[in-house]
Amino acid sequence: MSTHAWVLATGTARLAGAVALARTVSDEVTVVAVGPGPLADAAALAGVDRVLRAVTEDGQPAEALALQVAGAAAAAAPRLLVSTDEPAARALLGAAAARTGAAALSGVLALRADGDALVADRAALDGAVVQTVSTRGPLAAQVTVEDLTPAAGAAAPITDLALAGSPDVRVVGREAAGTGTGLHDAARVVSVGRGLRAREDLALVEELARALGAEIGCSMPVADDLGWVAKERYVGRSGQKIAPRLYLALGISGMPQHLEGVRDAKVVAAVNTDPDAPVFRAADFGIVGDLYEVVPALLAALSE
Amino acid sequence: MRAVVVYKWARDPGGATVRGDGSVEWRSPKLVAGEDDHAALAVARQVAETGGGQLVGLTVGDGDASWALARGVAEAVTVPDAPVQADQAATAAVLAAAVQASGGADVVLIGDAEEHAQVPTTLAGHLGVPALLGVLDATVVDGRVQVRRAVDGQVETLTVTGPVVLAVAAEGPEGRAPGMKELLAARKRPVTALAFADLDLAATAGLTETGTRLPEQGTARLFRGDPADTARELVAALRTEGVL
Repeated sequence: MSTHAWVLATGTARLAGAVALARTVSDEVTVVAVGPGPLADAAALAGVDRVLRAVTEDGQPAEALALQVAGAAAAAAPRLLVSTDEPAARALLGAAAARTGAAALSGVLALRADGDALVADRAALDGAVVQTVSTRGPLAAQVTVEDLTPAAGAAAPITDLALAGSPDVRVVGREAAGTGTGLHDAARVVSVGRGLRAREDLALVEELARALGAEIGCSMPVADDLGWVAKERYVGRSGQKIAPRLYLALGISGMPQHLEGVRDAKVVAAVNTDPDAPVFRAADFGIVGDLYEVVPALLAALSE
Repeated sequence: MRAVVVYKWARDPGGATVRGDGSVEWRSPKLVAGEDDHAALAVARQVAETGGGQLVGLTVGDGDASWALARGVAEAVTVPDAPVQADQAATAAVLAAAVQASGGADVVLIGDAEEHAQVPTTLAGHLGVPALLGVLDATVVDGRVQVRRAVDGQVETLTVTGPVVLAVAAEGPEGRAPGMKELLAARKRPVTALAFADLDLAATAGLTETGTRLPEQGTARLFRGDPADTARELVAALRTEGVL
């Protein structure tokens, strides 16, 4: 069976990675670019065969077009629908899954064909296991992928989708979430979690941040339960999403909600007493140790 | 405005035990409220108060339906025999059919659970309404839903005319558990049971689970031993990477 995949895109973050994953099981990959006009031009360079363009009006979020895009998906009936975890792209995927009768999954890491079945490996139980599932019908897969730079090549042709009658959803305001912190643009971030035993011990973290020229972030319990760090410094799914060159996690267990906030960091390093802490699965480097012993040692090593 | 808040609708990862070979044992077949459910409920109460309407709880599967009734929701609808399914579109189809069977909704609020991230969006698709994710709060102003949500390091305010699904991600654990008085009052509140077989379900392709395994060992280079040595090793590695 020949497989045609649609990748539903509302931004370029991780788009090439999603396309590459779709390509592993598909003969033809189309990106449906829903957003401002230039998005389709960027999508055309992501290694795809075709781009369908749905341009949003000023103040119109991509979600407003989800039902119309889903109608187009039902007409085209692609075997595979893919999105990243970008919220608007997720919304498009769900609408399309419902209209095409596809099975739906999130956290998909890999896809393969097995005869006429599509087989998916997905992260489950907060990343503790990889679950394997298969379907003989259409599949909607929200994928977890790295960002890739697509190989240079000719731009794919762009066709406009004719859409009409979208629901009235409007963006009427925008404000910076992290007022006053330089976290979003920092090249280096030192982040602290429940491994910190007392508020006064933040001084140790602050000293390390100064030595590194880093901003301070934190995981949810430190901002919310304990109130030791300003909420604007919380890094995670409902907090800041950041892309520093270095993210150093101290005493952070690495729950998925937190790790979502740093998926685009260049290098992740972690200090945790538990060698099986989930944070080490996301890290490039780690020290198994107590942050109260390791941070002074890091300060010493940095000054050598 | 009629608001429906969905709770206790999927297995909570905390209820699983992972064995050494990566297979999974669920400690109980009963469902419990998910970690985002309290946040969805808080926003649902706000919508009901500002929209001047009814707030109904919706829950599926085995387990105690009174969780929302103990937290200010006056009535609930349950589908106790709905099966737990790997296919998130199938779960969404059950929820959508139950919303319709119980009288429809102007706003549906549901936890934005990472483990089941396609359920809120596909639920919206089955209902034929837009979905907004990452919602922080929502109110009704002049008959329209005004939503604040976190996106790309900003807080966006949107307005929606017409029905909508709002997926709310919790920023922390529930602040205050209900007391004995609320728990006892919950037992007296009406729960309407719907039979799974009676629901008008959208067809989905279905998924077969073939197993679970442990993830490949992370690529992290772990340094162990004396802190002075491990710190030196980490600093050297980060300098080599060019980030220091």
